[in-house]
Amino acid sequence: MAIDPCDWCEEVLQPFLDRELTDTEMREAEAHLDTCSYCRKRYRFEQSLRRYVRQIVEPMPLEMKARLADLRLEL
Amino acid sequence: MSETESEARRLADDARERVRFEEEALDLADQVYRVARGLVSSKEEAEDLVQDTYARAFRSWRSFTPGTNLRAWLLRILTNLNIDRGRRVQRSPDMQSLEERDYYLYDRLEATSGAKDEERVIERLSQDDIVDALAEVPHDFRDVVVLVDIGDFSYADAAQILDIPVGTVMSRLHRGRRILKKELADVAVKD
Repeated sequence: MAIDPCDWCEEVLQPFLDRELTDTEMREAEAHLDTCSYCRKRYRFEQSLRRYVRQIVEPMPLEMKARLADLRLEL
Repeated sequence: MSETESEARRLADDARERVRFEEEALDLADQVYRVARGLVSSKEEAEDLVQDTYARAFRSWRSFTPGTNLRAWLLRILTNLNIDRGRRVQRSPDMQSLEERDYYLYDRLEATSGAKDEERVIERLSQDDIVDALAEVPHDFRDVVVLVDIGDFSYADAAQILDIPVGTVMSRLHRGRRILKKELADVAVKD
């Protein structure tokens, strides 16, 4: 039984965005995404989600660096 | 040169090398903190973990080989300390749930918000949702997701830090992201 193209596209979403697919698989996924708005939306969502996750962490508190510097051993 | 002079020179070289190590390590503190913050659930815990990491790094600076990856070396100390602190009681899930699919989060958010495009759908998520969901991801998977997706480490560096094969990094990353999305759907839809 042939795999549903959207199921296949879901299966390769991560390796696609991580650029781990072979050239042939990449072309196949791109061809499907060109014609399928269902998958396209979900791929775009995943890209935005990755950017969003990258930004979640608040920067290190400013005074923390001074505290770390104090941990240095005395010369 | 007398023996005393050469000893003095050796000590001076040693001190210079150590100061250089300490400065380079401190320059990486923001990046180390980012990873710590992703691994533990509160800001205070992250600060403690980073302080312990630096205290240990400064004590064992001689075991660092100059010219190798200092960021990975520091993160290895950090992830080991995190294990030592007994934050690993959670076991990895054995069975892959059907909800751990890559489209699951989008489908849940779209269904519950009525939004029809991905930009509206992502607005349903807050930064707190992501922090809360990340805390629910089992540690083995969370470590990899945090190192690669937040810390920006390569698969090879993550493998070196966690002392696991690159293939395991990739499989844990793929599954960890799916678990994160499943948890995120639960957290966000509850709000």
